[in-house]
Amino acid sequence: MKTIKIIKISFMFCAVFTALMSLQSCGGASNDEALMEASGTETTVTESTPSTQGPDIQVPSPGEMLQFIKILGGKTNKNTSFLNPTANLNAYNEASQKALNFGIYSCDLSYCSVFEIGSETLKYFKTVKQLGDQMGLSSAISNDQLKRLESNVSKSDSLSVITDDIYFTSFSALENSKQGPTIALIMAGGWIESMHIACNLVNFKAQSPASERIADQKYALENIIDYMKKHTGNSMVDNTRTDLENLYKIFQKIEEKEIPSVKSSSGTTVLGGTQQKQLVITATNFKEIAAEISSLRNKYTHIN
Amino acid sequence: MKIAIFFTLLILSFNINAQSSACTDFHKKHCKVNTKTTGKEWQYNAQSKSGLFKQGDVSKLRCVIYKGMDYRISVCCETVIGDKVNYKIFDVRTNELLFDNLKSEGVQVFEFQSASTRQLLIEVTVPKGAAEKSDSKSANSACVGLLIEHRISERQGFSQY
Repeated sequence: MKTIKIIKISFMFCAVFTALMSLQSCGGASNDEALMEASGTETTVTESTPSTQGPDIQVPSPGEMLQFIKILGGKTNKNTSFLNPTANLNAYNEASQKALNFGIYSCDLSYCSVFEIGSETLKYFKTVKQLGDQMGLSSAISNDQLKRLESNVSKSDSLSVITDDIYFTSFSALENSKQGPTIALIMAGGWIESMHIACNLVNFKAQSPASERIADQKYALENIIDYMKKHTGNSMVDNTRTDLENLYKIFQKIEEKEIPSVKSSSGTTVLGGTQQKQLVITATNFKEIAAEISSLRNKYTHIN
Repeated sequence: MKIAIFFTLLILSFNINAQSSACTDFHKKHCKVNTKTTGKEWQYNAQSKSGLFKQGDVSKLRCVIYKGMDYRISVCCETVIGDKVNYKIFDVRTNELLFDNLKSEGVQVFEFQSASTRQLLIEVTVPKGAAEKSDSKSANSACVGLLIEHRISERQGFSQY
C-alpha cells in the first residue's frame, strides 16, 4: 500500500519535472502561457511526433518571398517606409499582439537583411530580440547572433542566413514547448508582412513572375488557415483565422487555367500529374488583395 | 527500492522529452548532401522538418512548392532504425502519386521542379524490420529528417528572371 503511494508520488514528480523541462527549453515562463491556456486543446497537439492522423502543415518562410522579389528587380531597393516602426513595440501588450508582431518584425528583419539595409537590420534585430525575450524565446535569440550580425553587416548573404536562422530557431523552441497557437500567429504575422512588402514593391503586370507569385500565395494562405484549424478553440487564433478566411475569399476570385504537361529545359525531373492549374491574376484581383492585406496589417500593427 | 523507482521514472520522463526535442535540427545537421551540381547554390527551405520515428511509423508533411524553382528533397535517419527511409510525393488537390522513391531504387535524394505552383503531401515511412529490434525501448525510436532545399530554375535562352 505504501509502495503504491510512493509510485503515485513519483509519477506526480515526473509530470511536474517534465512540465518544468518543457518550459525551460523555451526560456522559462512566458506570456504565451496565456495562449496555451486559452486554447484548451494545446496538450493534444504533438508537433514533432509522427502521426498517421493528419499531415504536418508547413508554410514557406517570408524570406523566400522577399528573396524572389529581390531577384526579380528589387536589387537597388532600400525603402523602409512601409515597415512596422520599431517604436510601435511598446504598444503590444497582449500575448496575441506579441506573437503576430513577432512574425511581422521577423519579416521586417528578413527584408532589411535581404535588401542589405545594414543599420536597419541591427535595429530590427534588437526589436525582435526584445519581443522574443518577452515571449520566453531568450534561448532562441542570443547576443551571439547580434555579434554575428554586426560583423557581417555588409554581407547580404550572411545576413540572410543569420536572420533566417533566428526565425527557424524561434519556431523550433516553440515547437519543442508545444506552443502551436503562438506558432500559428507568428506564421500569420510573418506571411501578412511579406505580402504587405511584396504588394508595395511589385507593380502589377499580367503574367509577370512577381504578380504570379503573389497569386500563388493562395496555397500558402490555405496552409496557414489549415494549420490554425488545428488550434480551433483558442479565441485569438480563431479571430485571426476569420480574418484570413475573408482574405482567402478574395484569392478564390482568381481564375484558374489548366496547363499542359511540360518538359524541363534544364534536365531536372518535372513532377507530373493531371489537371495542373495555374492562377491567372488580374489587376482587379491584385488591387483587392493588396487592399485587404493593408487593412489586416494595419489592424495587427495598430497603425490607423 | 522506493528511491530506485522514483529515479527510474524521473529519468524515463526526462529521456522521452529530451529525445523528441533532440530531433529538432536533425535534418540540418545530417541530411545535407554535398553533391557537385551546376547552377545556383541550394538554399535551405523552411518547410523542412525532423521528427522522432520508430520502425513502421508513417508521417505526412504538407508543403507548398513554386513554379520556376528547383527543389531538392533529402531524407535521412539514425541507423538504429535502419539506413533507408521510404517516401512518396502526392498532389494534395488530386491525390495523385507523383513520386515513390521505392520505384527509383530507393533514392534518398530527389531533385525536381513543377510546371505549376502547388501543394504537395510528402509521406515518409520507416520500414519495419529495417534494423533488429533492441531490448532498450528508447533505442527503437530515432530521428528522421526531411530536408527541403530550393533554388531558382535554370532557364535556357533569355531568362525572364
